[in-house]
Amino acid sequence: MEIRLCILLLSFVALGSSGCSVFHRHPKPDQGAEADSNSESMPDADAPPPSVIEPQVERRTVKVPTIHPSNVELGAYYGELSIQDFGAQPVAGVRLDYHISEDFFAEATYGRAKAGFTSFETLSNIQLISDAERRFTYYNLSLGYNLLPGEVFIGRNLAMTSAFYMIGGIGAVKFAGDQNFTVNFGAGFRVLPTDWLALHIDVQDLVFRSDVTGTEELKNNLQATIGATVFF
Amino acid sequence: MPASARDYLQLFVAQPYLELHTGPGRGYPVAQVVARGEAFDVLMRRTEWFKVRTERGVEGWAYEGDLMLTTLADGTPFTINLGDRAGFASHRWESGAFGGAYAGATLISAYQALSLTDNLKVEVSASQFLGNLSNGYLIDVGFSHVFMPEWRFSPFVTLGGGYEHVEPKPTLAQALSANNQTAYVGVGVRYYLGRRLFLRGELRGHEVFTNQNSNEVKNEWKFGFAFFY
Repeated sequence: MEIRLCILLLSFVALGSSGCSVFHRHPKPDQGAEADSNSESMPDADAPPPSVIEPQVERRTVKVPTIHPSNVELGAYYGELSIQDFGAQPVAGVRLDYHISEDFFAEATYGRAKAGFTSFETLSNIQLISDAERRFTYYNLSLGYNLLPGEVFIGRNLAMTSAFYMIGGIGAVKFAGDQNFTVNFGAGFRVLPTDWLALHIDVQDLVFRSDVTGTEELKNNLQATIGATVFF
Repeated sequence: MPASARDYLQLFVAQPYLELHTGPGRGYPVAQVVARGEAFDVLMRRTEWFKVRTERGVEGWAYEGDLMLTTLADGTPFTINLGDRAGFASHRWESGAFGGAYAGATLISAYQALSLTDNLKVEVSASQFLGNLSNGYLIDVGFSHVFMPEWRFSPFVTLGGGYEHVEPKPTLAQALSANNQTAYVGVGVRYYLGRRLFLRGELRGHEVFTNQNSNEVKNEWKFGFAFFY
């Protein structure tokens, strides 16, 4: 019994004295090669390993095609703008949209119209503003929301994606010799006959404060337009 | 000569199947599926949706989250920049539009920023201000530093310079239009809304270098929406 205990204790002492070297793992061949290449004692280690076959194949460059993003819409519109007190007149403009997500889009528009005459001007034959000042130009920066996305069907075989959207934003109107801060809001309908073409119907109100007709008041200028845009 | 003469990126379905919708939206019905192992071409991207064409010639729209489960021809997973919080923290471009005030005048402003790092951005902004006494324009170029871009509510500081054009209203006698150089310093916050959209508000103090005896200090605040891509 005592002998067995002694052997056991001695074996522990032997393990302890050898330290961690018992658990030391031999370096892997490649690690060994790395270690050897660092030492100056093995100058041959820098030489390339002997190869059986020298590949004569030219490495080909693989070009992965990129995905074409198509989120930008650019186009023009035409319609009727009812300038408060100055009658309804044709309006034309350009629009640039960026589709931020499936739901939201940002829009910048620039439009021009020429105001008619107020009833006072028609009756009295006195012009309130000059012809040059009748030029009505505006720009809007807006955020739109695709409220009702859907599909439009024409016949049995043609389906086109569409969306009814709400839009609102700010901008400026240059009219009657003054520039005014403008708030716009409205709604529109967009239908896409192809993936790159969209047709629009829009109704928008451009609201600004002006004193062109005597007293300062909010002027509502309703606009109804049709337009076409191309996706890029 | 490149090895791949393909016009479109080719991907392989690694999940049980890939759903193809009839339009680029969550509500459009699923009309087709692509089975596991089958290849398809990615024709284009519109917001979160990708128009794809299978080898059988079937076309449809796949959602970006589903496309993230597919693989490239060499078997590596397909990855794409998503419009999410990670994208909010790290992106290349951002744009936005604001309303606000500049020295008491109503301000309309738009900006474009390029990220040099996640924290540091170069910004260009163009603004129009419309006041009771004068109208005008501002063009500013500067840097902005976002302290914690990964925070939903992340503050930033701005520093830059620009150009101010002031046109007094014609009702004022003897008023001349003026072009002045400006320098500005500002603070602001960004708040992530969702997808690629965030809110941004900013305060700026402009030092306007006039040709009069003293410079003018004009304050600007603006608030609006912005998006990254």
